[in-house]
Amino acid sequence: MKSSAFELKHARTLGEATELLAGADGNAKVLAGGQSLVPMLNLRLARPKLLVDIKRASGFRELAADDKVFSIGAGWTHAEIEDGVLEDPTRGLLRSVAHGIAYRAVRNRGTMGGSLAHADPAADWVSTLAALGAVIVAQGGEEQPKRYAAESFVDGAFSTKLGESEVIAAIEVPRLSADASWAYQKICRKTGEFANAIGVAVLDQKAGIKRVLAGATSGSPALLPETAARLAEAGPGAACEIAAEEIRRVLPNLDIDTQELHAVAVRRALATLGGRQGR
Amino acid sequence: MTQVSMTVNGGGVAADVEPRTLLADFLRSELHLTGTHLGCEQGVCGACTVVLDGRIQRSCITFAADCNGADVTTIEGFDDDPTMQELREAFSECHALQCGFCTPGMLTTARDIVLRLGDIDERALREELSGNLCRCTGYVGIVAAVKKVAAGRKPNVAAAVAPVTVSRFEGSRSRPASLLATNGPVTRSSAAAKAAPIGGSAGGTSIEERVRVAAPPEQVWSILSDLKRVVPCVPGAEITSLDGEDLVGKVRISLGPIKVAFNGQAKVGMDSSKREGWLTGRGRDSGQGSSAAGSARWSVIADGPSASLIAVTLTWKLSGPLAQFNRAGLVQDVVRRLATAFAENLEASITGAAPPRRKTTLGGLGLIWSVIKARLFSRQ
Amino acid sequence: MRGRGRFVGDIHMPGLREVAFLRSPAAHAKISSKAKSPDHAVDTFFSEDLIGVSPIVTRSSIPGYKVSQYPILATDRVRFVGEPVAMCVAKSRAIAEDLIEQVEIGYDDLPVIASCAGGRRENAELLHPEWGDNLFLETFFDSGVDEVIAKAPISVELEMTCARQTMHPMEGKGVLAWWDDRADQLVVHTSTQVPHMIRAGLAECLGIAQAQIRVAPPDVGGGFGYKCLLQPEEVAVAWLAATFKKPFRWTEDRREHLVAGANARQHEYHVKAYADAQGRLLALDAEVSVDTGAYSVWPFTACLEAAQAGGNLPGPYHLPAYRCRTYSVATNKPPFAPYRGVARPGVCFAMEQVIDAIAQKVGREAWEVRRDNLVPASAMPYTNITNKHYDSGDYPEALVAAKDMIGLEAFRAGAKRDDRGRYLGIGFASFTEQSAHGTKVFASWGLPLVPGFDQAHVKLTPDGALEVAAGIHTIGQGLETTLAQIAHEQTGVPLKHIRVTLGDTATTPFSTGAYASRGIVMSGGAVSRAAEVVAGRIKSIAAHLLQVEPAAVGFAEGRIFAANASVTYEDVGRAWYLRPDQLPETVNTAGLEATEGYKPEVDTGVFSYATHAVRLAVDPETGLVEILDYAIVEDCGRMVNPMIVEGQTYGGAAQGIGTALFEESPYDDNAQPLASTLLDYILPGPTELPTFRIDHRETLSPYSAHGIKGVGEGGAIAPPAAIVNAINDALSPLNATIRQVPASPQRIREAIRRARPSQATESRRDVAR
Repeated sequence: MKSSAFELKHARTLGEATELLAGADGNAKVLAGGQSLVPMLNLRLARPKLLVDIKRASGFRELAADDKVFSIGAGWTHAEIEDGVLEDPTRGLLRSVAHGIAYRAVRNRGTMGGSLAHADPAADWVSTLAALGAVIVAQGGEEQPKRYAAESFVDGAFSTKLGESEVIAAIEVPRLSADASWAYQKICRKTGEFANAIGVAVLDQKAGIKRVLAGATSGSPALLPETAARLAEAGPGAACEIAAEEIRRVLPNLDIDTQELHAVAVRRALATLGGRQGR
Repeated sequence: MTQVSMTVNGGGVAADVEPRTLLADFLRSELHLTGTHLGCEQGVCGACTVVLDGRIQRSCITFAADCNGADVTTIEGFDDDPTMQELREAFSECHALQCGFCTPGMLTTARDIVLRLGDIDERALREELSGNLCRCTGYVGIVAAVKKVAAGRKPNVAAAVAPVTVSRFEGSRSRPASLLATNGPVTRSSAAAKAAPIGGSAGGTSIEERVRVAAPPEQVWSILSDLKRVVPCVPGAEITSLDGEDLVGKVRISLGPIKVAFNGQAKVGMDSSKREGWLTGRGRDSGQGSSAAGSARWSVIADGPSASLIAVTLTWKLSGPLAQFNRAGLVQDVVRRLATAFAENLEASITGAAPPRRKTTLGGLGLIWSVIKARLFSRQ
Repeated sequence: MRGRGRFVGDIHMPGLREVAFLRSPAAHAKISSKAKSPDHAVDTFFSEDLIGVSPIVTRSSIPGYKVSQYPILATDRVRFVGEPVAMCVAKSRAIAEDLIEQVEIGYDDLPVIASCAGGRRENAELLHPEWGDNLFLETFFDSGVDEVIAKAPISVELEMTCARQTMHPMEGKGVLAWWDDRADQLVVHTSTQVPHMIRAGLAECLGIAQAQIRVAPPDVGGGFGYKCLLQPEEVAVAWLAATFKKPFRWTEDRREHLVAGANARQHEYHVKAYADAQGRLLALDAEVSVDTGAYSVWPFTACLEAAQAGGNLPGPYHLPAYRCRTYSVATNKPPFAPYRGVARPGVCFAMEQVIDAIAQKVGREAWEVRRDNLVPASAMPYTNITNKHYDSGDYPEALVAAKDMIGLEAFRAGAKRDDRGRYLGIGFASFTEQSAHGTKVFASWGLPLVPGFDQAHVKLTPDGALEVAAGIHTIGQGLETTLAQIAHEQTGVPLKHIRVTLGDTATTPFSTGAYASRGIVMSGGAVSRAAEVVAGRIKSIAAHLLQVEPAAVGFAEGRIFAANASVTYEDVGRAWYLRPDQLPETVNTAGLEATEGYKPEVDTGVFSYATHAVRLAVDPETGLVEILDYAIVEDCGRMVNPMIVEGQTYGGAAQGIGTALFEESPYDDNAQPLASTLLDYILPGPTELPTFRIDHRETLSPYSAHGIKGVGEGGAIAPPAAIVNAINDALSPLNATIRQVPASPQRIREAIRRARPSQATESRRDVAR
C-alpha cells in the first residue's frame, strides 16, 4: 500500500504555493503536516499529481495579536498548541482540544491549518473554531487574503469553501475574557479516535460570545443559536432542555440515534459549563 | 527523484529518493535500519514511530523527501541512551513484549513519555501510550515497565521551546458573513429512502430529496421531460453521447482529496404518464479500481392545485477501495449533497434562476448550465 | 528491543523483487475479460500463467463435506472482495502497485451471498455450482431430547450473534521465496506458525517434492491462528521463485489484512435451553450457523469451526440431553480461519448467556446457577455428552474464587448506578479449553493433516552447551524460553548455555506446528523426552570420567556431581567428540544427541479451565462501556513459567475484549467489506483495557508430561461472554438486553431504546416539553 507517484514542490511563500496550485489544473494538493493526507495517499484513494509543501513557507507560522483577536499561523502543530508554546487566547480551550487530537506522534507533525483544510467532519478543530466564531484567513491569487467564517467554512465531508488554489494562512481566534467559560465534549470509543459526536459551548458575556455547537456530524458542524441564546439568558440547565429539539431541526438528515448522541454531547458540554461557572 | 540529506542516528545521509518514498521505507530499504516497522501505513498502529527533530513522529505517513535537513533517530540509534537502556531492562523484566513487532515504536514512544511528562498517573500514561498498538500483551507489562522507569521523574515539557514572536494584529475586524448551509426554507427535505434495486441486483443505498416548486405539475413535467435538459443536472455528469436511451459519459465525484471519475454507460428513460424519469448506469474509476452502479429517479408530484414537488432519489452501490473507505457515513454525506444539488439544479431549470454556486467537483456544471439557461429562457 | 529482530519484511537480498496482487473489487462475479498492459506483460501474471500450479484443495474425511477449489489466482470467477486475480512484480512495492493499476479485468456481477440466511435460502445462487447448495457441511447430533423437553419446568430461548472479525497480528502475513542453486532447493521464508505443514502444502500445490522445499520462517510478529494457513499468495510467490529462480517477496499490508485476510468469529446461535425449577440444566436444543466464506482454508477445513461449536457448546457443565444442528455456509466473503480460541469464544458467549438467562428466569444469582451446573471436582475425570474427556480440576472452586475476587456480595449491597449516572453490572463466564488435543480428536474433525507425534532434537555440543531443535515455530508466545527451561530441568545445563532453534524444516524435526494451544504440551513433551535421553548419556559418560556408577551421578549448579567430585558439561562434550580415547568400549554409540517424539497417552486433550469475572459501567446515553475490574481465576496445570502463562492470558483476554466491545468487519448487502483501515476497525488500545487481576490454580493433568495444560487461547474465550453478561446485568433495571458482539455503543443504545416503554410515549413527552 504505497502512494501513487507525484511530484513534490516546496513553496517558499504562500504566494508561490498559490501559483503552483493554480497551475496544476486541480491535480495538486497542499502538504502541510500530511497526517490526514498521507494515509489517503498510501491507500491510493487520493492521487494528486503534485504536492505543494508549505511547511517552511514564509507567512505560514506567523502570530499576531491585539486585545480582541489572536491570529495563529496555520502551520503551528497541534503539539505546539498543546504544550503552550504559543499563547492560548481562549484560556485553555485550544490547549485542551489539541491534547485530545489523535496521538502525540501525529500531533507533533499535524497542523491546525492542515486539519481545517482536510475538513474531516469529525476533526476537532473544525468544531472548536466554528464554536469560537473564528475566522479562517486564506491566501489566494489576489492581493487581499480571503476571510471565511469558521462556522460555514466546511460544506460537508472533506469539502470546504476553499478555492482550488487557496491556502489557509492563519486562523483568527477571538480572545475570551476572564469571565468566559467553555466546555468541549467528545464522544468516541477509543482514545485518539475520530469522534462520533462533539458538543461545544462557549459563553463570554463580556465579549458578547455565546455559542453552542454540535460537531462531528457526517457533514458540516451545526451551530445551535437558540440553545446558545437560552444559555446566555437562562443558564446551562435551561439550554439543555431545548438542545435536543434544536438538533433535530438543524440536523434533519441524521437518524434518531445520531441526533440523540449529538444531543448528549451538547448537553454534557452545557452541564460541564454549568459546573465550571459554579466554581 | 528528489535529493535529500538528513542526519540519521548521528550520521549524515544523502540520497536521491522518489517523492513518494515514505521515511519508513527509506530507513528500512536504503539504510537497512529495519527496526522501524510498518504495521499499518495508516498512521494508527505506531510501530513506525521514530524521533524526528526531537519529537516522536510517524515515519509511515511522512515522506523522506519531506525530511531534508532533518535529524532522525531510530530504535537502532538509542544504544547509548540511558533512558532507553532503563526502558529496555524494564521491558524485559515486566514481560512487556511477546512477538516484538510493536516494541521499537513502543519503546520510542515510552521514552518520549518518560522524558517529557515524567511520573504521571496510570490513566494518563495509558492515554499517552494509546498511539501504539500491541496485539500480544494486553499492555499489562508495557504499562508496568513504563511506570517503573517514569517513577520519580520530573516533567520537561517546554525544554526545547524557542521564544515565540507575536506581532501586532493588523487584520480586519469585521467578521465575514456566515454563509450557513442550512436547509433553507421549508420547501426542501431529504431522507434516506428505501433502497431500490439497481440493474437487477439488490442492495444499494438511497437518498431522497424533494423540492417544492410553485408551478402546476403539468408545467413542471413539460420542462423535465426533456432528457437533454435533465441529465446535465446530475452533478458532475458529463455526457459523451446520448443516443435514444443510451448514454455514455462520466460522473466525477470528489470527497476532499479523493477524486474519482466513473466512466461508463447508462440507460435513461421516462414515463410521462407517471411524470417520472430515470437514469441507471454503472461506471468504473480506472485509477483506483473503484466502481459504482447507480440510478437517479425524478418525478413530479402535485402539491395542491398550483404547486408541485420534484422528488429526486439517488441510489448507489459502490465497490472497490472507495466502498471500503466508509467511515461514519462520509460517502452518504457526499451523495446527499449530490442529491441536493441535483434537486436544486432541476428547480433552477424550472424557475430559470441560476443554480446556487457549486464548485466544479460537485457541479461540473458551469458550461452545461449556461447552455441550459439559454434554452430555458428561450422556451419561457 | 534494539531493532535487531528479523521479520520477512526486514530481509535484504540482491535482486529481490516485490509482488503486489490485484484483488477483486466484486464479491461475486464472472470474469469476462483479462488484459495485461502491453508494456508490462512479462511482469504481470494471471491464473493461466501459473503452469503446473494446483488450487488449494482441502479434503475432509467427514461424510458429506464438500470440497472447494481455492484458486491461487482467480480463473473465471471471483467469490469474494479481495480475492487475488493477478499479480505484478517490480523492484519496489510501489512500482508493483503501479503495474497492478494497469491490468484490466472485466467483471459480470453475479447475485451475492452476503449472509448465512442468504446462503441457505431456497434457490440461492450457488458459489460452487457443482455442490447443489451452499453448505460445506451440515451436522446433526441428538442424544434424545424430546422427552426431557416435554417435561422441563423452565425454558429459555435465545438468538445470539458474533460479528465477523479479522485477527491482526501486528506483523501481517509475509513471504519471501528464493531458489538456492547449490542445494537445488526452493527456500521459503514465510511468516508462519506451521512451517512443516506449509512445506507439505506448497509441495502439493506446486508439484515439487517436499525434499526440494525448505521452509525457514524468520521472526514472526504474532500469529493468533492467521499464520497457520497455506495462503494463495504464499503459493504464488513460491511459484515465482521456483520458476524464475530469483527472490520474490510479498508482504501483506493492513488494508489487505482487513479486506482479504482470513476472517473469523462470525457465528449465529439459536439456542433453546431447558432446566428444572432450580435452574439445573436438563437439555439444550441448538442451531449454529457459521458464515464460513467462499473457500476452505488449508489444512483446517471449512468445518472445524462448526464441528467445534457443536462439540463444545455444553461447556464445563453437566448436561443430560443435547441436540445440535450446525451449518457451515459458503458465502461471498474471505475464507474462515481458526482464530485464537477457534469456535470457543462464540460457544462460550452463547452458553454463558443461556446460563444467565436461566438464572434470571428462576430468580437466582447467575453465579449460583452456574456453580450448580458445573462439573464438580468429585466427578473428575468426566466424560460429557459430546464425549469430551475432562481430565482434572475443580471448576466450581474457580468460579467461587472469581466471584469473591470481583466482590459480588459488596457490589450487590451497593448502588446500581455510579455518580455519573452509569449503570453498573457484574458478569461471569466459565469455560474449559481443550488444549493439545491429539491424533484422535483431529482425525474426528476430518483434517487432511492429522497431528501425531511432535518431535524434538537435543544435542550437547563439544563445549558443553545444549542445542534444542523443534519443528514448532515461535510466534511470540515465549516458546524458546519455556522449551529451554524444560531442557534445563532434564539435563541441568544452565539456561544461558541452551540454544533453541525452531521451525526451519532443514534443521528441525517434524512438527505440525504452533496452534491449538499445543506448543508447550506437545513440543514441551518431546523436548523433555529427548533431553531425558541425552541426560542419561551425559550421566553415563560423566560417571565414567568420575569413575562411579551412572546412578551415583546428579546435576547441580551447572555441573555434574558424584558425591563431592564433579566434572563439567564441557568435560563430557570434549570426551565424546574430541577425546573418544577416554571413553569405555561400552559407550552408547548414539552419542550426545537424540530425537524423540511425544504425544500424550490419552490424546483427547487436556482441559485447562477458568472463570472470568468483570465489573463494568454502561453509560446509557452514549452506550459506552468502561471495564472497572477484571478478575481471572485459571488452571492450566503445572505452570512452567508463570510470567509467560500470565502474558498469554492477558494477551488473549485483550483480544477477547476486542471481540466483546470493538472489533468488527462489517459487510454490506453486496458483501463489500466496509472496514479497510484501523480507523474503521478498532483494535483495543491501552485505555480500552483494564489492569487484569489473575489468580492461578495448578491441578496437574494426569495425561501430559509434568501435568502441563495448554494456555495459548484460553484468555480470548471468556471475555465476550463475561462482558455481555455484565452489560445485561447492568442494564437489567432498564429491561434491556444485548445478544450480539461487539456490544458497540450503537447496539447498546439501540437495546436501551428498544426496551423503552414505547417510542410513541417518548415522542409525546417530547412534544409536551
